[in-house]
Amino acid sequence: MIRMYHVTKRYGDVTALRDVSLKVGKGEFCYITGPSGAGKSTMLKLLYGAERPTEGKLLVGGVDVSKLRGRRLPALRRSMGVVFQDFKLIDTRSVAENVGLALEVIGTPRPVIERRVAAVLSIVGLRGRGHEYPPTLSGGEQQRVAVARAIVNDPSILLADEPTGNLDGAMAIEVMEILQSIQLRGTTVLVATHDAGLMERFPYRKLRFEHGRLVSS
Amino acid sequence: MHALQHILRRAIRSLWEQAYLNSVATFVIAAALLLMGVYLTVQFNLNAIVDSWDSDVHVSAYFKDDVPEQRRFELRDELAARREVASVRYFSEEDARRWLIDRVADIEPVLDELGPGVLPASLEITLVPERSNPEAIAAFARSLSSTDFDDIDDGREWVERFHAFLSLLQLLGAVLGALIVLAALFLVANTVYLIVYNRRDEVEIQKLVGATTTYIIAPFLLEGAAQGVLGGVVAIFGLWGVHRLLVVRLQEALQLGVAGDLVFLPVSWRLALLATGVVLGVLAAGVSVRRFLSTAA
Repeated sequence: MIRMYHVTKRYGDVTALRDVSLKVGKGEFCYITGPSGAGKSTMLKLLYGAERPTEGKLLVGGVDVSKLRGRRLPALRRSMGVVFQDFKLIDTRSVAENVGLALEVIGTPRPVIERRVAAVLSIVGLRGRGHEYPPTLSGGEQQRVAVARAIVNDPSILLADEPTGNLDGAMAIEVMEILQSIQLRGTTVLVATHDAGLMERFPYRKLRFEHGRLVSS
Repeated sequence: MHALQHILRRAIRSLWEQAYLNSVATFVIAAALLLMGVYLTVQFNLNAIVDSWDSDVHVSAYFKDDVPEQRRFELRDELAARREVASVRYFSEEDARRWLIDRVADIEPVLDELGPGVLPASLEITLVPERSNPEAIAAFARSLSSTDFDDIDDGREWVERFHAFLSLLQLLGAVLGALIVLAALFLVANTVYLIVYNRRDEVEIQKLVGATTTYIIAPFLLEGAAQGVLGGVVAIFGLWGVHRLLVVRLQEALQLGVAGDLVFLPVSWRLALLATGVVLGVLAAGVSVRRFLSTAA
C-alpha cells in the first residue's frame, strides 16, 4: 500500500528525513515512532501530499506522490483519512456537518451523507450526537468526531498524527480501540506517536525514526 | 449537481454568518458604482444635450443695414427653394428685440437707450437633416452672399468646442472610473480576504479531505457575485435618489429647458452598472481566495 525508496526531505539546511526506504502492506497497522523532531510528522505530511520529497520516490496505493500535482492531489486525499492531535474540527459546524464534509467535497447527495454520517458516528460511539457542536464535547469525543470524518468515505489508508496526544489515558484507549477496529475492516492505519505505554497496550509494527533516519522497522 | 448544491448552500450560509464583512464589501461596491453612476449620468445627459444641439444646428445670416426689405424677402425665398434647406425664417429687428426681451429680464430699458439698429435683422436657416453635418453647414455658410450679409454664424464653433470638452470629460471619466474600480477592487479584495481568513480552518480541512481548488473557491465567487448584485442594486437606488434630489432640482433652478429634461440612466446603462458590480465582486473574491490559498499550507 505504501512504498518509499530512498526518500529524503530537507527544509533549507535542515534535513527532516534521510534516505528512508520502507514498505507497508494493505490492511497493516503501523506506528511511526521516535522522539520529538525525529521526522514522524514529516513522514505523514509526505504521505498525504502536504509536502514533496526532496529526493527519492514515494508510492501510495501505486500512485507516485512525489510527482503529484494539481488536481491529482485531491484525488489522493479522498483515498485516505487523516486525524490530527488538535482534531481540526470546525467549531461553528455541527458534529454531523464536520463528519459529512469529506463526503460533501466529492458531491455526495445529502441523504447519502446523512446515512453515512449516522453510521460512522455509531462506529465511534457517538450515535445521536450529530446535532452537537465540537466545543460542547470532551477532548476524547472531539477526537472521535475527527476519526469519524477520516473514515466516512471508506479510505484505504488512515493516517493519525499523535491522535491521543491531547487525551487522558481512558480516552486515548477508546480512540486506539476505534483505530484498531478500523484496521480490522481492512484499512491500512499509520499512527504517529511517542506514547510507549499505548504501543505496549496495542502492540503493532513500529517504524522508529531518529534524527530523520529510519532506525528500525 | 450535488456538489453545486453544497457550494450554493455554503455560499448562502457564509453570506449570513459573515453578514458584517459581506455588508462592508457590498457597501464598498455600492459606493464605487454610485460614483461611476453619477459620472455616467452626467456624461449621458451631456451627450443627449449635444446630440439635441447637433440636430438643431441652424445658420444665422445677419443682414447688412442697407439691404432693403424687398431684397431681404427675395433672398429668403431663394434660400427656401434650395434643396439642402429645410426652412428659412425671417427675423426682423423687432422680432429680435422681442426675443431678447422675453429671455433677459430688464433688458428693455437698455435697448431703448441704445436706440434702433442695434439688433440686425436676420435669416434663421435650418438645413435638411442629411446636410446638418459640420462640413455641409460650413460649405452652405460660405455660399451665402457677402454683399447682403454682414455676418454669418453657423453655430458650429462652440458646439465643436463643447464636443472637445466632452471628449476631455470622457477621458477624465475613463481615468477616474479606472481608479475607482481599482480602489474598490483593492478594498473589496481585502474585505473578502478577511472573510476567507475567518474560514481558514474550514478551507484547510476541505483541502485535507480532498476538495478541489474549484470547490473551495466557488462559494467565495458566488458570495462576490451576490455582493456585486446587492451593491449594484443599492448603487442604482442611490443614484436614483441623487438624481431626484440634486439633478432635478438643479434643472429647476437653472431652467435648463433648452436641452429637454435631464434624464436618469437608461436600463441598459443600469444593467451595465450592475454587471460591473458583479465582475468587481467576483474578481475581488477570486484574487483574495487565490492569494489565501497560495499562502496557506
